[in-house]
Amino acid sequence: MTALTTEPAVSATRQEPGGPWKAVFALALFESRRLLTRVPVLMAFAVYIGWTVWRGGKEGDGFPALQDVDRATQGAPMLIGLAVLLSVNHAAVRSQRHGTEQLLTVLVLPLWRRTVAHALSVVAAALLTAVCVAAQFGREALRPGAVGHGSVGELLVGPLTVLLFGLFGLLVAGLVRSALVAPLLVVLLLFLFVFFSGLGYEARWLLPAVEDATPNTLPSDLLGRPAAWHALYLTGLALTLGLLAVLLAGGRRPAVFAGVAGALAMTLTGGVAQSAGDSPELLRARERATVHPEQVQSCVRRDGSTYCAFPEWGPRVADWAGVVNRVRSLAGGDAHEQDIVVRQRIEARYGLDGDSALTPLERPHQVTVGTRWGGNRVPEFSAAVAGVLIAGDEKAATSICDGRIIPLMWLAVGWESDPLDALRRVRLNDTLTGSDSVLQPTDGLYMTEAHTEVLRALLDLPRGEAGARVKDRWDELTAPKVTAARAAGLLGLPAPEGDDKCS
Amino acid sequence: MLLIRHLVLPVHRTVPWGQVGAAGAVGLLLAALTRTGESAERLSLYLLRAAILVFALGLAFLLDDPARHTTATVPTRRPVRLALRVALAVPAAAAWWLVALLLVPPDVRPPVADLTLEAGAAFVLAVAGGAAVVRFSELTRPGRSLAAGLLTTSVLAMLFWPGRWALFVPVEDERWGAAHDRWAVLLAVAVILGALCTVEPLRRRVRP
Repeated sequence: MTALTTEPAVSATRQEPGGPWKAVFALALFESRRLLTRVPVLMAFAVYIGWTVWRGGKEGDGFPALQDVDRATQGAPMLIGLAVLLSVNHAAVRSQRHGTEQLLTVLVLPLWRRTVAHALSVVAAALLTAVCVAAQFGREALRPGAVGHGSVGELLVGPLTVLLFGLFGLLVAGLVRSALVAPLLVVLLLFLFVFFSGLGYEARWLLPAVEDATPNTLPSDLLGRPAAWHALYLTGLALTLGLLAVLLAGGRRPAVFAGVAGALAMTLTGGVAQSAGDSPELLRARERATVHPEQVQSCVRRDGSTYCAFPEWGPRVADWAGVVNRVRSLAGGDAHEQDIVVRQRIEARYGLDGDSALTPLERPHQVTVGTRWGGNRVPEFSAAVAGVLIAGDEKAATSICDGRIIPLMWLAVGWESDPLDALRRVRLNDTLTGSDSVLQPTDGLYMTEAHTEVLRALLDLPRGEAGARVKDRWDELTAPKVTAARAAGLLGLPAPEGDDKCS
Repeated sequence: MLLIRHLVLPVHRTVPWGQVGAAGAVGLLLAALTRTGESAERLSLYLLRAAILVFALGLAFLLDDPARHTTATVPTRRPVRLALRVALAVPAAAAWWLVALLLVPPDVRPPVADLTLEAGAAFVLAVAGGAAVVRFSELTRPGRSLAAGLLTTSVLAMLFWPGRWALFVPVEDERWGAAHDRWAVLLAVAVILGALCTVEPLRRRVRP
């Protein structure tokens, strides 16, 4: 007797709750791990992190302005982007290279879903870059001397560059299935960037990272960089490339078409908006901040002196006040008690590219301070304060050309822990002998060979002794037209032998 | 001699001319960029170096030979076969280099002899690298990883090569002469390395 089975045959495939997307995420996880452990990517990350850590302490001499720091995070991730481009491209043609394409087509994931997984692995690399950028920015932002505001748009550029390059590599892998394309592309991209960075102001915003390598630090509202629009443009461009790659791999779904259209719209919006140029309001605000800074600044009084700074530089008043007090403590006569006005000034009319010098102030007892601090900026400011204490106003101080420069420079560097080092740094050619110019926030001073000799002799004395001699003879030393030889005689130092003629 | 004549055609058929040609085309494109304007002319040295790098990346594929395991036993030894392959590529490379140089306007062309030395060193280094990979591995197509390695190395070298042994110097730099002595040393080292690596190993290293 034969028994018939009545059970219906069950379908061999079961519908998992997550569907194919679960498999896509699993594959994305695998591809991410693989991508992040490729030799070029590992090396790029090692070089990038090493370079960033090594450079870290040098940015802004320990007193960074965060609106500059965010921009400084943009260039280096391009290296990671190029490595990711290379590796993603290789990963995407891996199955074709090993002849396993036919085997993979019997699995649940068609080519376009595998492409999505590759795209997600690029996102993982971009996220890792974002962590690095955040760490770099956070490290600078946590410094006690940090001022200003960073911009999210600027910080996003680094990770978005990685995303853009990676997805471009993926798209190219769909177009040309050759192992040679990616290396050639990397070289081409490298040189196209060199090429296009020489373009005009608006066109350069089409590149991923737009660097303004400038010594000029401006308040964050005067920068005039369309950072948010640029981030939108990069996001749109990256999404377009990624979705086109999916489309090319066979993912012809309405959602993908809609996504491409949306991403293109984003790119166009961002691209048009970012190249609008400086708005009239911005130009007016820059003009006002340059010509009438008092209208936007707030002033605080400390120990009798007034400090007027742009709102973002409020925390730095304490540093300025410390220098002013030390300089005043070395002065004799009326200057010891003289209250001054420290006015922060910028030249913002030409934007970040402009690097024009500030003109000296003519109002009595007003001193200019710039937007940067730390390093050489400290003795420069110190010299400007000393000049105003001696000559009465900045205009008169910058035209001093006689023996008064000796007490002036003593006030400027005498309080430093290493006066000779400060003197060397504040002089234009980093010299300690002979004649040289002295840098200041506005116009410079000029020291003759004789002035330098007397000042060096004064600095060689014990600090208390030198300070007492300067204070004893303050009125004679700061009288106009005093010669270097006379100043040396007043201070009880040997007469200088060098030339004492201003040029 | 007869043997060589018989070998030319089969070897020619296994040479990946497509890859080399594509790299050459991109390289010539870079060289042609020097004719696009004032700023491009200032970059002529760098564009030519980029072109050299691109063509070297193409030459990294020269020793790709899917049939290498089947031809390991033929009576003609590997040095002869590889030399033949390189000999086929040399005229192509020379012609390419001549065209690349002619594409640069004569008045902004960097010193031709010195730059030819750089190009030669880069090309020989790429092929020698391929020979080394073939000698020490069982890969039939070493080109892909070699090109990636060459690119990574050159980018890192441009970034971090110590200034004391500068290689990538601008024309007006006073180290130009010394740098090209170093390029000559590099070329010699690459030639020797490449020659040493052409020998077929007596034993194949068996992977566990």
